[in-house]
This record gives sequence, C-alpha cells and structure tokens, in this order.
Amino acid sequence: MESISPFYSMSTEVRYSPPWQDLSIIGIAGSSGSGKTSVAMEIVRSLNLPWVVILVMDSFYKTLSPEEHHRAHANDYDFDCPDSIDFDLLVSTLRDLKKGKKASIPVYSFADHQRQPQTTTLYSPRVIILEGILALHDPRIVEMLDVKIFVEADMDVCLGRRILRDVRERGRDIEGIVKQWFDYVKPSYTRFVEPQRSISDIIVPRGIQNKTAIDMVVKHIQRKLQEKSESHTEELHRLGLIAAKVDLPSNVHVLPSTPQFVGMNTILQNPESEQEDFVFYFDRLASILIERALDMTSYVSTKVETPQGNEYLGLHPTGEVSAVAILRGGSCLETALKRSIPDCITGRVLIQTNESNEEPELHYLKLPPRIEEHSTVILMDSQMSSGSAALMAVRVLLDHGVSQDRIVFVTCAAGERGLKRLVAVFPKIHVIVGRIEEEGEPRWIEKRYFGC
Amino acid sequence: MASKPESAPSPAQGVGPLYRPDGEKPTATVSKEVSFDNVHVLPQTPQLIALLTMIRDKRTSRADFIFYSNRIIRLLVEEGLNHLPVVEQSVTTPVGTAYLGVKFEGKICGVSIMRAGEAMEQGLRDCCRSVRIGKILIQRDEETCMPKLFYDKLPTDIADRWVLLLDPMFATGGSATLAVEVLKERGVPEHRILFLNLIASPSGVAEFAERFPKLRVVTSFIDQGLDEKK
Repeated sequence: MESISPFYSMSTEVRYSPPWQDLSIIGIAGSSGSGKTSVAMEIVRSLNLPWVVILVMDSFYKTLSPEEHHRAHANDYDFDCPDSIDFDLLVSTLRDLKKGKKASIPVYSFADHQRQPQTTTLYSPRVIILEGILALHDPRIVEMLDVKIFVEADMDVCLGRRILRDVRERGRDIEGIVKQWFDYVKPSYTRFVEPQRSISDIIVPRGIQNKTAIDMVVKHIQRKLQEKSESHTEELHRLGLIAAKVDLPSNVHVLPSTPQFVGMNTILQNPESEQEDFVFYFDRLASILIERALDMTSYVSTKVETPQGNEYLGLHPTGEVSAVAILRGGSCLETALKRSIPDCITGRVLIQTNESNEEPELHYLKLPPRIEEHSTVILMDSQMSSGSAALMAVRVLLDHGVSQDRIVFVTCAAGERGLKRLVAVFPKIHVIVGRIEEEGEPRWIEKRYFGC
Repeated sequence: MASKPESAPSPAQGVGPLYRPDGEKPTATVSKEVSFDNVHVLPQTPQLIALLTMIRDKRTSRADFIFYSNRIIRLLVEEGLNHLPVVEQSVTTPVGTAYLGVKFEGKICGVSIMRAGEAMEQGLRDCCRSVRIGKILIQRDEETCMPKLFYDKLPTDIADRWVLLLDPMFATGGSATLAVEVLKERGVPEHRILFLNLIASPSGVAEFAERFPKLRVVTSFIDQGLDEKK
C-alpha cells in the first residue's frame, strides 16, 4: 500500500544527515610526556564549544592476561608497542561515530590493567581529538583523520615529565619508571612513534608552550566547523524545498477544530489571558494531544471478566510507553503526559537553535535505558516551526535504535513546511499536531507557560 | 419499560488507526451503534477500548479503576463541552498575527446523580475549574419499586445555565429520567441538558433519547450486555 503513494516513493531519496554525521577527527601523536594531553586540552579550551571530545587512546588498551598483568606490575610489559592497543575496536568505534551512531567507549583501569565492565557512551560530537602516542600509527585511522598533529619535545623533558606524572598520579616508584623507560618506552619511540612524524600535517615543537602552533590548529578547526554548519543549514533548507511539494500524509494527525479546541487555542493565543488560565488551558489541550498519541501505541485483544461475571473482549496495551521531551518546550507537555501515564519514563534532549544561522545544536541528551525496546516513544515539543529541532531529535532516537514507526511526535502547534519536511525525511513516524501555525512563528508558548 | 431483549451480540471488530489494514488491527468488542441524532458515542479508538477494558476487568484495583475511569470521563467531558455554544473572537497573538478564534459562551454547571455520578465530578473539574456542582439523590421506593427523589441541592440560577448531568451507568434509565424531570421543573430547558455517561444499555438509551429529543447524550459505550443483565 505504501509503494503506490507518490509521497512514500519519493521519500526514499530524502535524507537528513545531522552535523555529527560529518564528524571531524584530529589525531595528536607524540612521545610519552611530550605534552599531547596539554595540547589537546588547550585546543578544547580555545574552541570553547560543547561538541569537542578528547578520546584518549589509553582507553583502548587490551585487557592483560594474568601473566602479562604480573609483568606489568614488575614494569616488564611493553605498553608502548602497537600490539598493546586494540586498534580493531578503536577503528570500529571511530567508524560508528563517523556514521553518526552512538558508540561505547571502554573504560580502562590502570590499577588492574583491565577493561571495566562499564563503558562511557559517546554520541554526536562534531570534533573528536584522538590523543595517544600511536594516534597516527594505524593507516585505517589515519585515513579518517582530518588533521594530523605530531607533538615533539626533548626526550629529557619527556622523561622528566613522565617521572613526575607516574609518581604523583599513578603511584609508581622511580626505579620502575626508569626501567620501563629504557626497556620499552624509548625503543618504541624510535620504532613506532617517531616514524609518525613524517605523515603528520603539523609538527608542534615544545608542546603546550607553542602558542602559534596551537592557534593555527584552532583556527583550522573553526574554519572546518563553520563550513559544516553552513552545509547543514543549507541541507535543512534543501529538505524544506523538496517537502513543500507534497501534501500532508495520513500519518500526520492535525486535531479537528472542535469548538472547545478552538476556544482553548483562542485563550492560549490571547496575550490578555491570565498566566493561571494559560497554564490550565495549555494542560487541558495538551492532555487531548497525549490521549490522541496513545492511540498510536500497540494493543492486543484480551478477554476480561467483569465483576458481574460477564466476559468482555477488550484491548490491552502492550509494551512500555516512554517519552522524550525536547527541551525546553517539550517539558510544557509533561503535566499532561503524567495525567495519562503517571509513571511514564521521560528522557530529555536539549536542542537549541543557533539564532545567527538557524542551525539546531544538540547540547544535552539523557534517554531512558533500553529505549529501543519500548513499544512507543512519545517525542514532545510545545511548538515546531522549521522542524529542524524535531528532525534532529528523531535522528537521535533512530541512532539509539528506536524504529521510526514507534515514534509519535506530539506538538501543540506546527508550521506546515516544517511538518512536511519532517515526514518527508521520516515517513513512518506518527505526528500529532494541535494546530497549524504561521510559517516561521517564533517559540513563544514555552515562555508563556513557564513565565520566563 | 419491558424491553424486547435483543440477543444480537455486540459488534466485535478490528480497532486501530485508519492507516493500518484491518487484518493488522487487534479485535475487540466495540460500542453498539444507535441511530439517534441526540446520542453521541465517543470514537471507538484502541485507546478508549483499552481504558474500558481496564475498568471492566474485575481484577483491576480500586486505585486503577478510579484512575482509568477518570481518563474516560475527561474524554466524555471534552466531547460534551463541544456541544456548548461559542461566539467568534478575534485575538492578536503574542507574535502579532491575527487569530480568528472563539470564546466560550454560557454558564455551565454539573449535576451529579448520587452517588455514582459523584465519581465523575473530578473528571469534570479537571476540564472546568471551579465549576458549580449540584446534587440529586434518587433511590428506588421500597413500596412502589419506582425511582423516587430523596434530595436535591442545585444552584439557584440553574435555569440560566447549561447542565452537564453526570451518571456513569445507564441501564433502565429510571434515575436519569427522573433527574431530567427535576431539572426541567427548575426551569432548565431540555436542550441545555447534556447527559454524560460511561456505559449505557441500548434499549434504555433509545427510550431516553426518544423521550427527551432535545437533550443530548454523550456516552463512551453502548453495551448489549446491560440489557441482558437487567
């Protein structure tokens, strides 16, 4: 049935790629103690952006066998050769991130020389700084890097720094450190680390003190980000143009304009309404939207016995229904949500639209655990204008394994162009809309609801 | 009142969103259809059927029963309020555009038929804050076996108001009929009475709708079973 509709057949070509699908990776290699970490931190500090992540290659150390573990404690294990690092896992992690998927980063304990059972989740960075002595070693990684940096320092300085760090932070004794240095670290430097120098784009001598070099790197990254942001904004615009040609499909449910519904909308849109009335009528209107959204969840037939002993063939909802609020507008709908499902698990995404270029930016993310198993995920926003925040939020859910047909996007008001764009990109999601608003209407509902 | 017990089973059909083909919808018993202009049955959505299933299941706890019946009652009240008059009102929205909307007209009040009807008051208050609620107590007279008015307390200006009459179960409709008579005696015109009800019997509701043709009934389910189990 879907293939006959011109809408569906067209939609296969329409894709939305969020900015983090175009991830920049910067590799920083260099000898132990050369100041890689400091350089990476300085770059992050100078960029001053929320989407820059430092990925330390130490997290990808292989778990040691008991025998190797023993040797490691006797400072007789080579941590500086490429074999000690799980490059396969690192490559697949970076590839996932490049595709815009979420990745689990292992947590490595230096005390036990073992991977910990827990992992850190990494999702949607726009820049990753991969930092490690062998960051430029594996050709599969080098291929993915946008900038390759090699940090250099005098070997005496490196040894000095290493001693200070290992004594202070890792509780090692000086004798062991020196033994490790001459048995493994220094030979490895000559064999594996130093050769990376020749394939790097920028060599930073004197590490952190080299302001000029760091400044260059920062400028380069900023330029890259600017280009990406422009192409993202452009892509959003392009999707809007494609979508403008189609009609609203059947999976978009605009609530009927009943007298009560229009009446409530009138009170909400009247600036003279009292704050108290606004909140009351908003909650009442949102309750209707939520009840409608619950029609999209899955049910199975069930037979129950009534107190009078009759049998009734009814329906029973199946699976868990959870919700995700797009902050901050989406949290206006939470009161209504809790009226229908008091114990609804509610996640949050904070997406803010950059006012200068209208590009949405993902700032914060907290989703319910095992969200991919839930039968329905209600995605809430008070208002949707261009729909770019909604596009991004749906993308986030998909990246976390939620299938399109389980997503119900609920909004009190939406612009028609934005709606079309959203369903052109994600034709299987359900959308519940209270009212079609003027194009380009600014977000005012959340301000009114929260009073600030 | 001796109705001919229709033994036709209540209709069972696939319930679900329109876009889904019938075969993929789960089957459930839905409300019987009646052909009276003044009887409005809520759309039989899967969600409503699931709520009705919860309140019919004898294993449902009291707290859940109250919670789920309140949700249906809110849907009933929302539907019922749509029958109230509105007048056009144009407002300038916070973003400076004109919006042609409507304004609610007419004062309302709730009247619950004690004691079952009182269970619906919370749902009414959820939708209409500070609504006035009158009470009518009707019980069966031990001697005559006919419903008898024992007590009523109604707003003094009830004749000027729209009345939402609340009673969740409607079988023979004896109490509801008497309650409507009481309201009419107090000067409430029949067309300003809306009867909100959870489950009704087909014959009872038919008789009621014919007797008071101007009054409107809003119910969530018309159930064959109620006739058979009189």
